[in-house]
Amino acid sequence: MPEAPRPRAAVIQFPGVNCEYESARALAAAGAEADILRWNEDPARLAGYDLFLLPGGFSYQDRVRAGAVAAKEDILEALADEAAAGKPVLGICNGAQVLVEAGFVPGLRGEDLELALAPNRMPGRRGYFSEWCHLRVADSTPSWLGILSERVLPMPFAHGEGRFTSRRPGLFEELAAAGQVVLRYADAEGAVAAGWPENPNGSELAAAGVCNAAGNVLAMMPHPERAAWLGQVPELLPGPWGWKRRRAFGEWPRLKGPGPGHALFAAMVGAAAARREAVDAT
Amino acid sequence: MAAVIEVSRLSRADLESALAEHSLTLKPDEARRVAELLGRDPTLTELTLFDTMWSEHCSYKSSRAHLARHLPTEGPDVVLGPVEDAGIVRLGEADGRRWCLVMSHESHNHPSQVLPFEGAATGIGGIVRDVYCMGAEVVGVLDPLRFGDPRGEHADRSREIMAGVVDGIWHYANALGVPNLGGDLVFHPGYDDNCLVNVVAVGLVPEEEIIRSRVPAEARAEPYDFILVGKPTDESGFGGAAFASVILDEEEENRGAVQVPDPFLKRVLSEANKAVLALARRGGAAIGFKDLGAGGIACVSSELAEAGGFGMRVDLDRVAVSDPALPDRVIACSETQERYGLAVPRRLTPRVLAIYNEEYDLPHVYPGACARVAGEVTNDGRYTLTRGGAVLCDAPVAVVTKGIRYEREAAPAARDLPDPPPALDRDLGADLLALLADPNLCDRRYLYQHYDGEVQGNACLRPGEADAGVLAPFAGSPLGLAVTCDGNPWYGARDPYRGAALAVCEAVRNLACVGAWPLALTDCLNYGNPEKPGPFGAFAEGVRGIGDACRGIGRLAEDDQAPAPRHPIPVISGNVSFYNESARGAAIPPSPIVALAGRVPDISVVPGLQLKAAGDPVYLLGARRAELGGGAWHRVCRGSEGGAVPEPDFARVRTESLAVIRAVQAGWVRAAHDVGEGGLATAAAEMLLGRRGEPARGLDLDATGGDGGGGLPPASLLFSETGGFLVELAPAADDAFAELCRALGVACLRLGAVTAAPRLVLRAGGAVLVDLDAGELAAAWQGALPRLFPAGEETPDGAREVADA
Repeated sequence: MPEAPRPRAAVIQFPGVNCEYESARALAAAGAEADILRWNEDPARLAGYDLFLLPGGFSYQDRVRAGAVAAKEDILEALADEAAAGKPVLGICNGAQVLVEAGFVPGLRGEDLELALAPNRMPGRRGYFSEWCHLRVADSTPSWLGILSERVLPMPFAHGEGRFTSRRPGLFEELAAAGQVVLRYADAEGAVAAGWPENPNGSELAAAGVCNAAGNVLAMMPHPERAAWLGQVPELLPGPWGWKRRRAFGEWPRLKGPGPGHALFAAMVGAAAARREAVDAT
Repeated sequence: MAAVIEVSRLSRADLESALAEHSLTLKPDEARRVAELLGRDPTLTELTLFDTMWSEHCSYKSSRAHLARHLPTEGPDVVLGPVEDAGIVRLGEADGRRWCLVMSHESHNHPSQVLPFEGAATGIGGIVRDVYCMGAEVVGVLDPLRFGDPRGEHADRSREIMAGVVDGIWHYANALGVPNLGGDLVFHPGYDDNCLVNVVAVGLVPEEEIIRSRVPAEARAEPYDFILVGKPTDESGFGGAAFASVILDEEEENRGAVQVPDPFLKRVLSEANKAVLALARRGGAAIGFKDLGAGGIACVSSELAEAGGFGMRVDLDRVAVSDPALPDRVIACSETQERYGLAVPRRLTPRVLAIYNEEYDLPHVYPGACARVAGEVTNDGRYTLTRGGAVLCDAPVAVVTKGIRYEREAAPAARDLPDPPPALDRDLGADLLALLADPNLCDRRYLYQHYDGEVQGNACLRPGEADAGVLAPFAGSPLGLAVTCDGNPWYGARDPYRGAALAVCEAVRNLACVGAWPLALTDCLNYGNPEKPGPFGAFAEGVRGIGDACRGIGRLAEDDQAPAPRHPIPVISGNVSFYNESARGAAIPPSPIVALAGRVPDISVVPGLQLKAAGDPVYLLGARRAELGGGAWHRVCRGSEGGAVPEPDFARVRTESLAVIRAVQAGWVRAAHDVGEGGLATAAAEMLLGRRGEPARGLDLDATGGDGGGGLPPASLLFSETGGFLVELAPAADDAFAELCRALGVACLRLGAVTAAPRLVLRAGGAVLVDLDAGELAAAWQGALPRLFPAGEETPDGAREVADA
C-alpha cells in the first residue's frame, strides 16, 4: 500500500505576525507539509490545504484591538468555509485573538462576539507578561486534543491581552460543560490554577484555550511551537518535563526530539489526516 | 544652486547666531571648514548634512585616534571589523552552511532620558536595522540599562524613566519578534540626569549571503538605481545625531529630535527585504543595502556611494514624504525610522518595487509607506541632491563624507578613596540578606518577564538562567551561540582603566560558564563631555583598558588553548557616547559597557547556574584577595565606596576560563556561575535561587583556604569581588577536573557540596558565618525590584495595587 501523503498545512502570515517560521517548523516535525501563505494571496488557495495555523505576533500592530483588523481580511472568509468543512484550525496567541475577533470561537450562532481576549489582570504588574506555564487538557472535549485528555503540557506564554472573558454571565460554565474549554492553566501536577500566577492573566475558569462546538477550531494563548523540542524546555522546570530535560543532558539527539508542544501539533496533524482519509473514502 | 549661507563673509558673532538660528550645532570654525572643503559657501542643506556628519555621534572626531590606537579589530574569525554598522565573525558550520555572527552595539541615551518610551523603542529599532542590512536575520537583542538612584533625591524621575524605557523595549522588540537574550540593570546616582540605554543586536547570516553597505563594483558595468523604501519621510528625528552630541539642556525643546518607533512596519519590511535579497541572489545580482539612521537620506546615499567608490544623484522630488511642505533640509536629513536605502541594478528595479509595493502591499499596510526610485548611481564621484530643479548639494562624494578630527586633552584620573576601617563582629548573614535585597543585586525576573525571550523558538538558556544567554538557532545542529554584556560603574568611577578591563574579564567569565569560546566583542563607551580633560581622560583610559584586556586574555578557541594568547579577542563593532552630562555639569561615572559573543560547540552540555543534585561537589576557582573597593558589600552594608578595586589579572582570567570551558564541554559541569559583584556569598546564594527563585537544593560550603592562605578576614572571604568561578560538578568528574586544573596551573579548591536541605551554610576557620533558610533568601531577593515599578508599588496599607493594563 502506498504511504499516505503528508497532510498539507497553511500557516497564514498577516502583516505583523512573527511566529510563522517556528510554527511551520513544528508542524513539519509533526508530519505535515507546511507552507507560509501571505494574507493577500488568492483565498481560493486555501482549499488545497488540510489544516490551518494562525501564528502569534502583532497583526496590523494590534490596531483597534489585538486581532481585530486581520479578522476582517478576505482570507478569513475563505478560512471560515474550510473550517465549516471540518478542517482543523489552530490560532496561537495573536492567531487566537484573530479567531475570537472573527467569531470562529466559540462559534455560537446568531450572536456577535461572545468571547474576548482582554488585557491581562495581574497583581503588581501591568502590560506584557512572559513565562512558562502548565496546561491541563480537558477530560472530555470535542477537540482533536481529546486524545491528550487530562495530560499536563508545559509551554511558554507571552502576551499583554490574553484574558479569556465574556460579557455573558455563565458562558464559560456552559462552554466548559460542553468540553470547549480545552486547555486550562494548571500547576505542574495538573491541578487547575486557583489564582495568579498559575493563571497568569486572570482568564475565566483559568481558560488558556477554547474550541468551537464542532471541536475543529482551537484558539489558545500559550505557544506550543516554543515547546516543540525537548531542548526548549527550561532545565529546572518543575514536573516530569523538567526531569526529562535534565535526563537528556549531554544527548543532543534526545534534546532535538519532541517536547511537550509536539503532542499538540501531532494531534492536529493526525486529525487532519484522518479527516482527509474519511473524505477520500466517501 | 539653492541659496547659500555666507559663512566666509559673516563675522564670527554673526555666524554663531546664523548657526543657532538654524539649530545647527556646528562651531563657527567648523562651518568655515565646510566652505573651505567645498571651495564656496554652503547651502543650508549642506550645512545641515555636515552638522550631522561631523557630530560626535557620527564622526568620532574626538575618539577615533584612541580607538585606533588601542582596540584590536582583527583575528582569524573576523569577516568584517568595525567599518560598517555591524561587525561580522565566523560562528561555525551547521545544516551544511558556514554561518556568521553579525553584531552591533549602540546607545540611545539622550532620547531615552527625554522621551523614555520612544527613545528606548527606537534604540532597538535602530540597532536591529544595522544587523538586518548586512543580510542577516536578527536572532536576539540585549539591553544594558543604567538608571538614577531609585531611592535618592530624584527617585521619582528615575523610576518613571525606567518604567518608560522597559515599556519601550518590550513594545518594540516583542512586536518585531526578536527575543531578549539578556542585558543588565544598574542603579547609580550618577545617572540621575542621564540614563543610559545601550542596545546590542545579534544576527546570523550564511557567509556567502553577506550584503555590504556600498554600491557594488558591478555598477561600473551596468546602471544602478538608488531605491528608498519604508515609512514616508517626515520631520521626526530631525537633528537627532547632533542632539546626541550635546549636553542635555532644555529637554523640552529637544523632543522633536527623538524618532518615532514602528515595529509593525519594521516586521513587514523585514519580510519584504528577505524576498528582495532572495531575488537578487537568484538573479546573481550584487546589491548594496544600508539602513537609514543618523542624517537620513543624505547620509545613506552619500555613504553607499563613497564606500563603493561611486557618485550618486538623488532627487528629493521622488521621495515619499508625509507632507510636501517639509523644508529641503528636513527631507534630506530627518531621521524618520523604518527606512532602508538600496543600490540595485536597474534591470531588477521593477521587480524589487513590485515585491515591496504589491506583494507586501506596503502602501495599504501602512499609510504612505512604499518603495520608490529616488536617485541613481553615477561614475563621476560627485554627490548631487536636487529638489524642484534647485541644486541643494553638489560636491565630490569624498568631501561630503570626509570626517573631522580633534585632539582632545586628557587629564589623568585621580580619585583615591581610603579603605573603610576593618569591620569586626558583623552578622554576615544579615549582610548577605541586605545585599540580595539591594536594587543592584536583587532578582531581575520581574524585568525579564516583560520581554519575550522565547519568540523564534531558539531559546536554550534564558536571561537569569545562566551568566550568558544561549541560543540553539540551527534545527539540525547542536551548535549554539552565547552572548553576555557587562560594565560596573563603581569600578569605572574608582579607576576608569580597571573598570573597563574588568568588564571584559567578567564577560569572558560569563561565557566560560556556558562553555562558550569567546569570539568577538563590541563596546559602547559612555562618558561625559569630551571637551573637558577629566571625562576625556577617563574615556582614554577606558579604551586602553578594553584593548589591554582583549590582548591580555586573548582569543580562546578549539585551536587556541595555549597558556599565552596568540591572538586578541577582536572588537568588531562599537559606539562612543559622549556628553552624558547634565546642564548642572554632573557627568555620569565612566561607563564602558561591553558585549561578548561566543561559540557553543554543543548546546546539550551547557549548564545553567542553578544547583542540580544533592551530593555534587562544589569548587571555587580564583583565590579571594582583599578587593572590596567599589564593591557591593562596602557600598550596601558599610556606606563606603573606598578600597582597592579588583586588579584585572588577564592571565588568570584566561587559564581559569579555559579550565571551565573545557570542563563544561566535557560534560562534567552541572552548574556554573562567575564570582563577581557581591563576592562568593552572593554567587552561592544566586546558584541556590536560580532564575525562578524556587530553591530545591541547598549549599554547605567551607571557604577556609579560599584566599590561598592569604589570611583574609571572614567578611573579605565572603564578599571580596576578585573574579572567579563556582562550579558544581558531576561527582564522577571530580578527579578529571582536578587534573585539568593542575595541568593548566589553575588553583581549584573544593569548598563543599550541594545539600538536599534548601539552606545556605557558609563556614570558614571552623566558624559558621552564614546559615540561612532558602525561603528567607528568596524573600529578600525577589521583593525588591517589583516595588520600583509603578504597578508593583506598595500602597500605604502595604497591599499591592492590582493594575489593569
